[in-house]
Amino acid sequence: MTIYEFLSDRLGKIMVQLCCTAAAAFFLRMTGTSSGVITLLLLFLLLIFTVTQISEYHKCRQRLSELSALLQGLDQKYLFGECAPPPHTVYEQKLFALMRSSGRAMIGAVSDAQASMQEYREYIESWVHEIKTPITAAKLTCRRMDPDSRRKFSAELSQIEAHVERALYYARAESPEQDCIIRQASLSDIVSQAVGNHRTLLIQSQMKIETGNLDFTVYTDKKWAVFILGQLLQNASRYRSNASPSVLLTATPCGRQVQLTVSDNGIGIPAHELPRVFDRGFTGSNGRLRGGSTGMGLYLCRKLAALLEIDLQISSMEQQGTTVTLTFPAKQLSETLQNRKTNPY
Amino acid sequence: MQKIMIIEDDPLIREELSLLLENEGYRVVSITDFTDMTGQIRDCAPDLVLLDLGLPGRDGLALCAQIRKNFTLPIIIVTSRDSSTDEFRGLSMGGDDYITKPYDVPVLLARIKAVLRRSGGVSEADVLTVNGLRLCLTKGTVSLNGRSEELTRNELKILAHLMAHAGEIVSRADLIDVLWENQIYIDDNTLSVNVTRLRTKLKDLGMPDCIRTRRGMGYQL
Repeated sequence: MTIYEFLSDRLGKIMVQLCCTAAAAFFLRMTGTSSGVITLLLLFLLLIFTVTQISEYHKCRQRLSELSALLQGLDQKYLFGECAPPPHTVYEQKLFALMRSSGRAMIGAVSDAQASMQEYREYIESWVHEIKTPITAAKLTCRRMDPDSRRKFSAELSQIEAHVERALYYARAESPEQDCIIRQASLSDIVSQAVGNHRTLLIQSQMKIETGNLDFTVYTDKKWAVFILGQLLQNASRYRSNASPSVLLTATPCGRQVQLTVSDNGIGIPAHELPRVFDRGFTGSNGRLRGGSTGMGLYLCRKLAALLEIDLQISSMEQQGTTVTLTFPAKQLSETLQNRKTNPY
Repeated sequence: MQKIMIIEDDPLIREELSLLLENEGYRVVSITDFTDMTGQIRDCAPDLVLLDLGLPGRDGLALCAQIRKNFTLPIIIVTSRDSSTDEFRGLSMGGDDYITKPYDVPVLLARIKAVLRRSGGVSEADVLTVNGLRLCLTKGTVSLNGRSEELTRNELKILAHLMAHAGEIVSRADLIDVLWENQIYIDDNTLSVNVTRLRTKLKDLGMPDCIRTRRGMGYQL
């Protein structure tokens, strides 16, 4: 609060006081008090007035800075009303009570929203787990069908699985502290699991998988990393070129980090669409032309990668291919995740 | 013959799984009554338990811990809960392996085999023999009448799969699938090349028309 703001707030009061003082001085002069005495009196009044105003200004400033420091320190700003010290004057107390009750209504609304989000997440998770039983049963049963129908059927089943997985990870990304365990994992294991999970799709789209040196240990949550990689492989085969599509997976150490590169020779992404590929629901011209694109895969990749502190970069040349680089963090990391684990709010 | 107990509440999965495992040469006991598991396990003494964690009205993990406490037999946990936390919990409660639904059949079979091998059951046959043709899996050699040839990793896997299904028609897609499971990501052309090389080696051994091509269907040993 500046002095100007402080004074302009009190302008009316000060004017009234000035008028009263002037009237009193005029009255004293009329009743025969000597002008020297009046001057002395006025100077004395002015001194008292100035001192009280200055001290009040300082109090105001101090209080404001205390309160804003309190607000700064709060993780959830909407809890301010609950933490602020109550004021002293009755008028301020009434104002404070009003503000607090409005704040309480909001806290209620926020926690209701959080609870319903949590419930929704739990429902999605249990739904996903329920649906996996019939998928398993269907997978086991289709084994006995004739080879041609079996292949078609299992391709459809693996598509269903891919959609279900995305829904599950979408729900999980909301509260990662519940499912995420950062541990040592072998990069070649992650790659072979991801390839294995999408084997049906990759074989059917005749993708050639080439692997370079993958003999590295990374610190991450294996399941999540497999999911992210799986999305990239699905994209590589969905947006493949017609002639001998291939995808190359190779890793290089980069200081104490490990960089995994997934590059395909597919149809690529137009340069002007590249900055938006990680946006939620963005399908781009390729997605629109081919159909079946949800705009969720890369969005989820970025979201999960951020939680795992994996740096995700994409580059692409139209008709040449797309390269995605995942930089896994060095050993000492995931402080944010650890913090979120111990202190979810 | 090894005995596998299936603890699974979904009737269709139970049925299909029993059929699958019986075809693979295991004896299968499936449980339909989910009370007094300990007694039932003691009665039929299986070599391995396939345990579904999502049993009705029971905590699967507690059951797993209970089995682990009373028996030394290996347990493979089969569940649809697939997060790292769940897996960690399952393995620390006494599971020997943790497979998530929906599983791939070959992966499931491989895991069962691996767990049985670890638990000291019968070790997997190292040598496959069909019509006098001997394939030694650990050495990677194939021999006939005292003469032998060395095989590459791809050729070994292809021949092993054909020999394991001797007489049956194995489709090219199935062969590719098998190779991919072993992290050999080959395509159609590479498979043809590998089969041709394999045929040449078998011809050198004196078995020229060992692998027949069944047009439009696949290969047959």
